[in-house]
Amino acid sequence: MSISKKPARATSRRNFLKTAGVGTVGSAAALAGLNSSASAQTGEPIVIGHPVPLSGAAAADGIEFKQGMEMAAEEINAAGGILGRPIVLAHSDTESGGDDKVTSAGQRLIDRDGASALIAGYNFGSATALQNVAADASVIYMHADTSRAHGEMVSGDPDRFWGSFMYCPSELYYGSAYLNFIRNLEDTGQFTPTNNKIALVTGPIPYSINIANSIRDAAAEYGYEISLYETVEAPTSEWGPTLAKIREDEPGFVVITHFFPGDQAQFMIQFLQNPTNSLVYLQYGASLAAFRDIAGDAAEDVLYATSIGVLTGEIGTDFSARYLEKYGEAASPNGGAQTYEALHLFAQAAAMAGGVGEAYDDEQNKRVADRLRGMIYRCPTGVIRFDQSKQQAFSYPVQTDDPSLGMAHIFSQIERKEENGKIISPPPYGVVDFRTPKWIKS
Amino acid sequence: MDAIVQIIVSGVTLGAMYALASVGLALTFGTMGMFNMAHGLFMTIGAYVTYSAAAVLNLPLGIAILAGLTAGGAVGALMHLVIVRFMLDREDFRTTIMVATAGVAILLQDLILKYYGAYPFRQPAQIEGTFRIGNVAVPYQSLAILVTAAVLIGATAWLLKKTRFGLAIRATAMNQDAAKLMGVKTERTYLQVIIIAGVLAAAAGILISSMASLSPGMGTNPLIRAFVICVVAGLGSVAGAGMTALALGVMEAAIGYYFGARFGFPILLGLVILVLIFRPAGLFGKAEVIRS
Repeated sequence: MSISKKPARATSRRNFLKTAGVGTVGSAAALAGLNSSASAQTGEPIVIGHPVPLSGAAAADGIEFKQGMEMAAEEINAAGGILGRPIVLAHSDTESGGDDKVTSAGQRLIDRDGASALIAGYNFGSATALQNVAADASVIYMHADTSRAHGEMVSGDPDRFWGSFMYCPSELYYGSAYLNFIRNLEDTGQFTPTNNKIALVTGPIPYSINIANSIRDAAAEYGYEISLYETVEAPTSEWGPTLAKIREDEPGFVVITHFFPGDQAQFMIQFLQNPTNSLVYLQYGASLAAFRDIAGDAAEDVLYATSIGVLTGEIGTDFSARYLEKYGEAASPNGGAQTYEALHLFAQAAAMAGGVGEAYDDEQNKRVADRLRGMIYRCPTGVIRFDQSKQQAFSYPVQTDDPSLGMAHIFSQIERKEENGKIISPPPYGVVDFRTPKWIKS
Repeated sequence: MDAIVQIIVSGVTLGAMYALASVGLALTFGTMGMFNMAHGLFMTIGAYVTYSAAAVLNLPLGIAILAGLTAGGAVGALMHLVIVRFMLDREDFRTTIMVATAGVAILLQDLILKYYGAYPFRQPAQIEGTFRIGNVAVPYQSLAILVTAAVLIGATAWLLKKTRFGLAIRATAMNQDAAKLMGVKTERTYLQVIIIAGVLAAAAGILISSMASLSPGMGTNPLIRAFVICVVAGLGSVAGAGMTALALGVMEAAIGYYFGARFGFPILLGLVILVLIFRPAGLFGKAEVIRS
């Protein structure tokens, strides 16, 4: 598997979206079909454990994860459950804590609540804790930790971690994707930076650090120079000292990989009090409604990226509309979509495998894992297709230039504080052109 | 030069918030020997009540802030009446009250989480706009934080030093039994002290949330910093806590600029260890306290 550095080949958006697969509404229909053609099992509910951060720093996402699970469970149950067995959700708050909190939450869901599978968004910690819980209990575990540690762990011991799947790509691809993106902006004349310097600001979480390091390590290859590498605490509300350094040596680009939406919002508010001519990129947090709520006008023109964000087109638009209708305009489809599609994918794989096994039933759960490994699944955030050895989703356009075979790594820009950012890259998902931020003086 | 101005602006803003957070903590310890682990939750309650009054009930901002301050004082009073006063005469009061107030903190945080959820709401109590010192843009919000902290801490100092009410507090702090013999109703004095601490904490919470956002756990980080400040100043030293907070705020900003933002808090913790080794009573000791 190689990492492509070429921009994705332009694909006809209309043609692609017409043939892009069934999506999750279609998925519920497919599940209903499987249910009707199979003889009903016991009818006993299947408990799906949901260990996510419902309090603490990552709670804004955790709330969306929970809502996404609830929405998917309702749809699956309306379609007859999994071979006649309804899904019941059991939530456990990991408190935005480390491995201790995450492990005990997962263990509690299995031992106390009788969970037959664990499905999460992301959690903090080493991103390797719940794989061990799942392996010990022989259950399927699906998550979006966006962590290279997952792939290394699973490919290193496939006999033990057969049931763990990361349904998004690793965070390592953010580095080359970002550098490709700004290189392309320059090469196509869409943006002319004041210089080739990048000020990198990261946080204390491995996800943020790994992304910052991947940008730092590859910057020179793309013709850029890292002028500042700063690590801030979490939370950080007073950005004065960091901004003083940025203003002292004005960079063409500012990259904040510390992803807490509240901290990013404060950064933008304080940055715009005396802005430099820098293109500002905020990692992930800016994709959440909480960022726009707190930042207000300062949110506009900010760039952000996510490797698991809701796409344009019928499937993504339909999901966003239904999600916002159900949970209100302040909800973030980007967060809810993650667990929503994971549960749908799991239900379909389990139905095709002949049902879900109880915890410690490795025979049946391995059948479900085999099905998951072989699926190509179109959902609101793109296509989930698992790397067979790492059991993590392929990234488009970083790992494949075929948008129907990878989860899109999308770059968006916020046009209005009242709305989610609009996708500007990659094709065929882009709906608006990049615009030079209003704080940059030509 | 711009960098130095920026460090001072950031440091004084941080210091002013820390000062308000730590003065109430120092006051309760100086008067009652009580380290209030629920002090951070008083901050959280002040911030959430102000948010609710302004953003949910659409009350004018001034009234919303007043509601937040009142809520901080009221929760302090309630905690005293329901828990603290029954423990005052215990020999191991200083230890048991920490455990009891930690329990109150956990309970209150869970109640806030249950009622408001964990969404990071925006605090409406904010002033927009900036003015310039040289090339540095100074937010009016920072100025408001500094002025608010100065007024509230100044008022507390005046109350303690210049009024009969303050005299009763200082007398109780010096010797509870002697104060009682002189006719001071010490239990009422304790109640008043906790209310003042609650109001100061609520004010700190409103200011801190105006620079960040609301969350049920928002009081934890300021409580740790307030504790650091109180230890460095000398537990119980009100004036010392205020001055130390400003000094540490500027020091943290300077460390952030010259050495890196991640080193600010660890170096402050290192300072605590040094103070505990070489000046266990803190930089201002007990002589500076309300016991003087």
